[in-house]
Amino acid sequence: MMWQVGPLAFAAPWLLLALPALPVLWWLLRVSPPAPRSQAFPALRLLQDLPPVEETPHRTPWWLLLLRLAAAALLVLGLARPVWQPVGGGGGAGPLLLVLDDGWAAAPDWPARVAAAAGALEAAGREGRRVALLPTAPPETGEAIAASALMPAEEARARLAALRPRAWAPDRAAALAAFEAFRVATPGPIATVYVADGVEHGTDGFAALSGALAAAGPLTVARAEARPVRVLPPPRAEADRLVLRVLQTPVAAPTEATVLARTADGRAIASATLPFAAGATEAEAAMDLPIEIRNQVVRLDLEPEAGAAGTVLLDERFRRRPVGLSAALETTADAPLTGDLFYLDRALAPYAEIRRGTPEALLARQLAVLVLADREVPEGREREALARWVEQGGMLIRFAGPRLAERPDPLLPVALRAGERQLGGALSWDRPQALAPFPEGSPFAGLTPPAEVTIERQVLAEPSPRLTERSWARLADGTPLVTHVARGQGRIVLFHVTANAEWSNLPLSGLFVDMLRRLVALSAGVQGAEGETPLAPLEILDGFGRLGPAPPAAAPVAANRVEATAASPRHPPGWYGTPGRAEDAAWRRALNLSAQLPPPREAGALPPGTRVEPIGGVPAERDIGPWLLALALLLLAVDLLVSLAQRGLVGTQWSRAARTAAVLGALAGAPALAQEPDGAAALTARLGYVVTGDAQVDEISRMGLLGLSDFMNRRTAATLAEPHAVVPGRDDLSFYPLLYWPVLPDAGVPDGPAAAALNAFMRNGGIILLDTRDEGSGEGFNPGARAALRRVTRDLAVPPLAPVPDDHVLKRAFYLLQDLPGRFSGGQVWVARDQDRANDSVSPVIIGGHDWAAAWAQDARGQNPYATIPGGARQRVLAYRFGTNLVMYALTGNYKGDQVHVPAILERLGN
Amino acid sequence: MADTRPAVSVAVPWAEALGATLPPLVVQAERVAATVMQGVHGRRRPGQGDAFWQFRPYVAGDAAARVDWRQSAKSDRLFVRETEWEAAQTVALWCQGGPGMAWRSSRDLPEKRFRAELLVLALAALMFRGGERVRLFGLPRAFTGRGALAALAEALPRQALAPEDDRVPRHARAVLVGDFLAPLQETRNAVAALASRSVRGHLVQVLDPAEETLPFSGRIRFEAVAGAEHALVPRVEGVRALYEERLARHREGLAAIAAGAGWSFATHRTDQPPEAALLALHRRLAPA
Repeated sequence: MMWQVGPLAFAAPWLLLALPALPVLWWLLRVSPPAPRSQAFPALRLLQDLPPVEETPHRTPWWLLLLRLAAAALLVLGLARPVWQPVGGGGGAGPLLLVLDDGWAAAPDWPARVAAAAGALEAAGREGRRVALLPTAPPETGEAIAASALMPAEEARARLAALRPRAWAPDRAAALAAFEAFRVATPGPIATVYVADGVEHGTDGFAALSGALAAAGPLTVARAEARPVRVLPPPRAEADRLVLRVLQTPVAAPTEATVLARTADGRAIASATLPFAAGATEAEAAMDLPIEIRNQVVRLDLEPEAGAAGTVLLDERFRRRPVGLSAALETTADAPLTGDLFYLDRALAPYAEIRRGTPEALLARQLAVLVLADREVPEGREREALARWVEQGGMLIRFAGPRLAERPDPLLPVALRAGERQLGGALSWDRPQALAPFPEGSPFAGLTPPAEVTIERQVLAEPSPRLTERSWARLADGTPLVTHVARGQGRIVLFHVTANAEWSNLPLSGLFVDMLRRLVALSAGVQGAEGETPLAPLEILDGFGRLGPAPPAAAPVAANRVEATAASPRHPPGWYGTPGRAEDAAWRRALNLSAQLPPPREAGALPPGTRVEPIGGVPAERDIGPWLLALALLLLAVDLLVSLAQRGLVGTQWSRAARTAAVLGALAGAPALAQEPDGAAALTARLGYVVTGDAQVDEISRMGLLGLSDFMNRRTAATLAEPHAVVPGRDDLSFYPLLYWPVLPDAGVPDGPAAAALNAFMRNGGIILLDTRDEGSGEGFNPGARAALRRVTRDLAVPPLAPVPDDHVLKRAFYLLQDLPGRFSGGQVWVARDQDRANDSVSPVIIGGHDWAAAWAQDARGQNPYATIPGGARQRVLAYRFGTNLVMYALTGNYKGDQVHVPAILERLGN
Repeated sequence: MADTRPAVSVAVPWAEALGATLPPLVVQAERVAATVMQGVHGRRRPGQGDAFWQFRPYVAGDAAARVDWRQSAKSDRLFVRETEWEAAQTVALWCQGGPGMAWRSSRDLPEKRFRAELLVLALAALMFRGGERVRLFGLPRAFTGRGALAALAEALPRQALAPEDDRVPRHARAVLVGDFLAPLQETRNAVAALASRSVRGHLVQVLDPAEETLPFSGRIRFEAVAGAEHALVPRVEGVRALYEERLARHREGLAAIAAGAGWSFATHRTDQPPEAALLALHRRLAPA
């Protein structure tokens, strides 16, 4: 059916038979003279009865002939439905089965995969084939994998557009079963296009599935070549740093990956780059993070790969270290300068969460470190609980003292001699001892003991062969000061001095703080007290690594099995916890997809006879027929004008001809922009929107700003004229207080003049509202817009951003607003951080994804053509109110912010 | 310009009827005529008329009624008041009408008819200022007096289609303006009929430049301005020389007709200023 010449194919090649008729047309046009011009002439009588003069008849000029022939040829070519670089339709006969890997490995280049699949659907539609879809990952409803029914390609395209990559692995064995079921329902010849992610998941299911597909009919496999699939497993926490590891499928060229550490409000506060050698499958790097900073990190993102496998959520185990303090006598423990816990409390409070109470009460909750200051542990339930907790990974730090010296117990790293040793007392020859340098292998290695720290009394360990290896710190004479022992997964540490300044001046020095800090960082994290409590899914990662509400099929996980749970439709990766205490971060556990993933390895060989097509990098096929037809029509219009001119019907009135040409030009689709070059735009205030090139989006922007201007004119003193479309770098932006800029997924980097114009615009006080149109409830509407946003803002001088704080002027400029919804709601809106004093603290850029223009849009009848999501008239009203605040913000800056100080000013005046 | 004001005010009511062409035409004719009056002066001698010319001493034979008593009272002698001679000559004017005259080759040029009417009216304005009587072919009465220009302009559309009128007095002057593209015999007959009554006159041929040079090219179907006649010329460039030769022969014929009757013949093109043609006409009409 198709006839292909190089990269060009014709869907209706028999129409090309009309091309040989062109010379006949040439001959006809040559012999028949053009229609004569008509000319009224009073002196007609003098022209009548002219003698016949032997002359060549007037011929159609050669360039006009060529024009007409070109138009005819274009018509024929255009009607033959040419396709540039057609995507193979799978070959063979019968319906087309489109198999699509939609597991986590497909997420990073999902748009390219969908484009490849859409190309196959396009070809199938052209050939009139019916199509069935078979995604290989289990759907999020938890149902079994099944192929869809046969349907027309158009319908399949809608289904395809609704597919999203899953945050779990595909199940190729189940897909094979679904395929066999499909074959039972649809015997006969089929062709298969398999958009594969190129990774083996679990067992070697790829070979079996592709083999079965190849056996049923011609198989085309589309896969991304030379693109590594990467996995970021949860990092290893060490003192003062996170050790990151990234696994990937080997590629020929050296590459590198970047890991960003983000805080709860989305700021990236650290990054680490991991270089991969050529052919390497693993890279490691350390992210140096002081524990105060690390405590703020909630997620790690692998860049530039998006996807659930490149996202690690860090829960309590990586972050806070709750430290329990317990003393023998709670009443005197806090006495200034003498209390047992006075120095400990001050040393630990800046970077750890301090809890107080008896050991039993403290162990009822999760705890990382328990410090017992000169407190004996009596035999019984308390000792058992402590021992069990240490076995599970807790770190017990004990300080010596008179009580411990009297009654040692088994929860000590070394056996103690009874009584204590006194140095430098009235009855002793010894002098108070200084500290020896810390031995290698001790967590304190690297710290320099100050010379003024001296120990006057201590408890002594019974000598034993293992004493040396158990000592982390010694005195200058070699007696151990800090000893430790590992018990199960945890450890017990003993300071042979008191926690107050009674026996030594160690607690008075900075060294004490550093030592405690290192010990806390060494602890394994929160331990114990979890058990079988079911944790419900709170927020769930989708395939792209974005957090969203939990789907109905997601089920709770027992707290002690979160670590070991593999991601699946029933247990998608994300945050799990007790819903009532969702805001308490201490009660959230993270289920990470990458925790249970094996290192990715490339899928096996394809069955023989398989056609392989690459994904991405190849331009999609292009139906150029309409363009040829449009060009032919344009040529015919030119021919018409020329003919009219030759016959004197337009004559020398070039103005009319020019007008006709202008009308034709406008019809030909040249974007007519309403911008007057003479600066008439400066006469009234008006809003502007950046032209994206997508006619529909630009129309929404125009209607949206029109609706907003209308609202402003009715409700406020501002008078806004009709909005203008602007092209940065071409139009003068200085007339507009506010530019609305919808970011399309295919938006490119603005060129030099455009970036310069936008930067000047922002520098001079203009505000740009960047709208990715995919936030909150609109998530997934506009895949790829985030990456496009990154491209768009690459050359722009965007200041450091932060989420809009509650007291931001934007929420109070006219109306008092809680959130800033547009067509969508619930996403995050970003403005410049408040510290930025440039431009009087007015943010030059506002970034969000609520598709505001669609919410503001009004059609010619004053109705809103786009429904709000989740909906309601209230959301529309709030969207308009946000628009009002925004324009007020653009027009008056932080003027309303100054109103905050009115009470203070009044008070000062009163005084 | 005092005498233009009544013309304009009279012109207003029929401006609509004449398609708003004539009022400016009248004014323009006045202006063209005024510039001509600057250069050529009239008869400066006593005679019949209204305007004062001179006082002369009374001689025997003068009627007593002609004595100017006020002047005579200033001295001992009697003075007779003489007025300037304003002997009226009748000039018959004809402006060719018809669809062929309502044509122009380009937007920048006036129609031939417009130019012809302008010449006729300007000439009439000159005549009225000189006190001559002006009549139009085919209309019963003659126009005279300075205010008559507007009435004349109004009467222009009612004139005869051909320059034939028995009521033109003998020894009158005739001025015929048109393109005279009709067969020569028609013109010859009209001129002969006038000449037989001792009418002397002038032919002014007004042509569009395109009618002289035939500036077209290519394959053109020439059509009559009114009527179904047409001529298809495959290549106009090829017949241009022949056309110019035919036009020249036609003009020679017209000049011969004029010379045979003792008339004069002049040509005028619409892309030339009308003053030149008017000046030439005035020179010929002015006695001596």
